[in-house]
Amino acid sequence: MRFNAILAILLCKALRLFSRLVHRGGTAMPGRYALKLCPELLSLLAKDVRTVAITGTNGKTTSARMVEEAFAEKGLNYFANRSGANLISGITTEFVMNCTLTGKMRKEYAVIECDEAAARTVFGQLKPQVILVTNLFRDQLDRYGEVTHTLENIRQAIQGAPEALLCLNADCSLTASLAGDLPNRAVFYGIDRGAAPSRPKPEISDATHCIRCKTEYEYDYISYGHLGGFRCPRCGYRRPAADYAVTDVLELRPDGSTARMRIKGEVRLVDVNLPALYNLYNAAGALAAVTEMGLGADTAIAALGRFQCGFGRMERFGLGKAGAKMMLVKNPAGCSQVIEFLQTVREHLVLVLCLNDRSADGTDVSWIWDADFEGLAALGSRLEKVVVSGDRAGDMRVRIKYAGVPQERIQLEQDYGALVDWMARQEKPIYIMPTYTAMLDLRQEIIQRVGGREFWD
Amino acid sequence: MELKICHMYPDVLNLYGDRGDIICLSRRLQWRGIGVQVTRLPIGRQAALSGFDLVFIGGGQDFEQQVLLEDLHRGKDREIRAAVEDGLPFLAICGGYQMLGSYYETFDGQRCDFIGALDLYTVGSKKRMIGNYKFQCEPEAGGSLVVGFENHSGKTRLGGSVRPLGKVLSGYGNNGEDGTEGAHYKNVFGTYSHGPLLPKNPAFCDHLLQTALERKYGRAELEPLDDAAELFAHDEMAKRI
Repeated sequence: MRFNAILAILLCKALRLFSRLVHRGGTAMPGRYALKLCPELLSLLAKDVRTVAITGTNGKTTSARMVEEAFAEKGLNYFANRSGANLISGITTEFVMNCTLTGKMRKEYAVIECDEAAARTVFGQLKPQVILVTNLFRDQLDRYGEVTHTLENIRQAIQGAPEALLCLNADCSLTASLAGDLPNRAVFYGIDRGAAPSRPKPEISDATHCIRCKTEYEYDYISYGHLGGFRCPRCGYRRPAADYAVTDVLELRPDGSTARMRIKGEVRLVDVNLPALYNLYNAAGALAAVTEMGLGADTAIAALGRFQCGFGRMERFGLGKAGAKMMLVKNPAGCSQVIEFLQTVREHLVLVLCLNDRSADGTDVSWIWDADFEGLAALGSRLEKVVVSGDRAGDMRVRIKYAGVPQERIQLEQDYGALVDWMARQEKPIYIMPTYTAMLDLRQEIIQRVGGREFWD
Repeated sequence: MELKICHMYPDVLNLYGDRGDIICLSRRLQWRGIGVQVTRLPIGRQAALSGFDLVFIGGGQDFEQQVLLEDLHRGKDREIRAAVEDGLPFLAICGGYQMLGSYYETFDGQRCDFIGALDLYTVGSKKRMIGNYKFQCEPEAGGSLVVGFENHSGKTRLGGSVRPLGKVLSGYGNNGEDGTEGAHYKNVFGTYSHGPLLPKNPAFCDHLLQTALERKYGRAELEPLDDAAELFAHDEMAKRI
């Protein structure tokens, strides 16, 4: 190791230690300073580590946890950037925390989730074995810009890692298009026609026109959003056949799903310990990444049946008589999927919607009007109460009023202490849908009350 | 009473929650017992604009712009110009607003012909104008205080025959330089305001509905609604910026 690299490692470790002493996360800041001393630090550390990198709009963290569980199942010596520190600074911190003072890595494997915009600087240094791209949806337009711009970012990111094998979502016309233009080897995963719910074209789709020739796509089926069996009538670009495919959804339960999946020709029964259709995509993607890392499908399947996600992704808390579940929402596609999941919950429930507009949430809250909150009104009397909270609670209240939720069931509470008090008094199961920074704050408040893990654990 | 609303290009002009404006228009009519019919007019679909009482055009992304312009220049542009002159109410947001103007010139000087229904043009700039903003509508455009969210790199300049929709109180507006926001011509209201515009600005929404109803029925009195939730969200943002 060169002198500046060792100095950077020392600095990074010292800053992290200091952060923890003052009870801060210290997930990104130490790496940021270390990279100032040694800009190529990440590539120096990453070259001896076999890495699965995960990017895309939705499902990064969940997919990463699934892959991680498989690594643990197999007994691999690995680490991961668990706390959502997914920019180059946070990823670098994580590598430094897993190396010796002289820069020798203590772990052989890594599971790294990476922000879509940051991938361009990260992948070239990381040189992952496998890159999993989950999907591309419109997300925080004030920050990421148009979705085609994000796609271009990822394309350029992968150009920095030409040896990496790509696991791509076959059903996402944007994501799948990466395969054609890059020299990388690619496998596809997706939900086959027979397993997809039959539904009409959604009112809003994030990819209506062919990414190659701008002709409107035709669809054989749609699983959700713009995902499904797309094909372009003009240039012939179409959904590639999935090597890892959900062929049959046997059961969607409030706490998990059972599906048949075809794994490179072999059909297997797979239990996913996380509910909702969109998590079947995450499961199929993780299955592909794990298998392509050479761990074997059995390991992946065992992991899917057992893993727990936490950190705001269907995370459970012992709050109120029937418990609370927290489901992070960040963009219209993800939010609509969570609302759709609520429609599968058979019991009466209370809901907390927590909307912030800080920079990590996106400063433009207009996206809530692109999410299908009308699905809440469809719950009817099963939705006993909705509490709106967060910096933009007022906007959220207007949104669900216009979605048709009766006004007398809507309550506004911007004080998290009072909100948690209220939740603690509830008899019915509580579902909490916060944006990112609202999740951090509210989670903290809940954990102080009923216990749970700090965000960096 | 009933309003027939045309939602133009909902397939490609649907960014930043602009469909919230359609939801808002519909609800505020329904809550007053007034009928509403929304017709989606995607790319490639023809329908006579004279059959509608209100036209809505949202903002979009650059990717589909070329497809959209091809469709416009197949005759819809002419029809829109005629409808505007005829006094048909329009609400056009951001990209839809720019599109009603004469042209768009990119930063490097390439010119793109638009509809030419409004005497205004837009020039691209390098800096994006993003953020919450507020403006005071001119009295003839209802006079209300509007809060919204703008996100555009184009700078719009108004010609002599259109009036600004309002005066910027905070933020950029048309170009960040002359203090104007949006355009108002006959019954056309053009603005950069996403947010979406209407739900948090019920007075502006009702002015638009009133305009459309009066044109159709001669006179219209809108029953007041309980706007406590809307005004709370409006006032919170108005205070913040």
